[in-house]
Amino acid sequence: MSGIDKQLREIDKLNTLQQRDQWMNRCHPLVKLCLTIFYILFVVSCHKYRLSTVVIFAVYPLMMFNFADLSLKDAIYRMRLILPIVLAVGIFNPFMDRKPLMQMGSLIITGGVVSMITLMLKGFYAVLSAYLLIATTTIEDICVALRSLHVPKILVTVILLIDRYLYILAQEAQRIMTAYKLRAPSQKGIHYKAWGPLVGQWLIRSMERAQVVYESMTLRGYRGEFSYGKKRKMRSRDWMLLLVWLVAFVVIKRFF
Amino acid sequence: MKTGTEKEVLHIKDLSYAYEKNIPVLKNLSMDAKHGESIGLIGANGVGKSTFLKLLVGLNLDYTGTLSVANHPMNKENLNHIREHIGYVFQDSDNQLFMTTVEEDVAFGPRNYGLSEDEVEHRVQEALRLVHIEDLRDKHIYKLSGGEKKLASIATILALEPDIVLMDEPSVALDPRNRRHLIHLLNEMEPMKLIASHDLDFILDTCERTVLMWQGNIVADGPTEQILSDKELLESHGLELPLRYYYGKR
Repeated sequence: MSGIDKQLREIDKLNTLQQRDQWMNRCHPLVKLCLTIFYILFVVSCHKYRLSTVVIFAVYPLMMFNFADLSLKDAIYRMRLILPIVLAVGIFNPFMDRKPLMQMGSLIITGGVVSMITLMLKGFYAVLSAYLLIATTTIEDICVALRSLHVPKILVTVILLIDRYLYILAQEAQRIMTAYKLRAPSQKGIHYKAWGPLVGQWLIRSMERAQVVYESMTLRGYRGEFSYGKKRKMRSRDWMLLLVWLVAFVVIKRFF
Repeated sequence: MKTGTEKEVLHIKDLSYAYEKNIPVLKNLSMDAKHGESIGLIGANGVGKSTFLKLLVGLNLDYTGTLSVANHPMNKENLNHIREHIGYVFQDSDNQLFMTTVEEDVAFGPRNYGLSEDEVEHRVQEALRLVHIEDLRDKHIYKLSGGEKKLASIATILALEPDIVLMDEPSVALDPRNRRHLIHLLNEMEPMKLIASHDLDFILDTCERTVLMWQGNIVADGPTEQILSDKELLESHGLELPLRYYYGKR
């Protein structure tokens, strides 16, 4: 299976996760979005030397992954492209901050090492919480939640259309790659001479298809604002979930 | 097969259109259609069938002549109103279906027209019932087969309750069972239908009237059986007899 096939299958798997009839999927999207935003804000705002607090903040992704019946291994695999970048953020801290912070036997741990681990964990948690959101909430529901938070409709529509366009791009890439491979069976990868025409074809075809999809949308009443799906009412269970976690975040931040 | 009632839903007179100056694609084309009529639009490749359909839904507005849909002249001001009356089923269903699930896609149009959630729900249920795909309601678009996608595409249009349905090659990529199902469905549908297709047997089964296009114009307009059994007419305009006539008249 080619790389692009794998990516499309990953997208399909993620879509399947979003459509499950599962407790976490049924939660109001606004609650899930707010929890993700608050969680990231709470974690990111922890002081760089407060490693213990950051470690305890792992409770949110761990518990929610369990509740949502999501695999941590799959999450890490799907986020493998972004994780190295996130984890590399604090990599130079040990060289810049050499202030001794604690000693374990003969081993002196500097502030740079602690802040590097803290930064890595912060990034890791942020990616996990974002994955938790997108694995349990469809893009339409996320857009509904964003509109509820009064994010400008043009921005929300752009997010939604980018999501659609990426899928079209991937599908077109898959078709072109398949057609190429069938006529170059013994060749490993794509010959460099073919890259130019293939990329050109890919862009033109995906743009043409995007144009037709847009026409299809306008023919069914699209006037610049997406109908983002069913608007759901917040239930007491949703409020409870939001409240419990917000209290937990405050407690962790304040007392650990 | 349902036949048309008197109410005129489409009026076209001397319609011309060109993508580039001096290279007309449609030339002085005229026709009328009544509510409930089922019209086959046939012609060889490149005669302007798809361009004609696109003009009817207002995707190209710089035409000359008269074009009115549901008694409204086709222009920028009337475009939104006209599109509430007209549904267009694309040749490639992948271009028509863009939401996550069948339900979301069918509900897309009614929601855009500001209908209440109860009405949207009713329209979705009814559209899915008409095309017999209630069981696909929650299914992902990408998991549908070619035939299911075609039926879902038709459901997205039926949910708008249009007066006119335009279809571009609806029988393409359908297996015999889904094809027969689609024929049955089209014969039951109330709105006026204009079906562009190269599948002449399909046109025979679904349309009581047929329009033959050639070089941007209409060269024949009449009862389907009469036009599709005229070997000389069809062959002189780049077509052949439908298979069921071909073997009998060779």
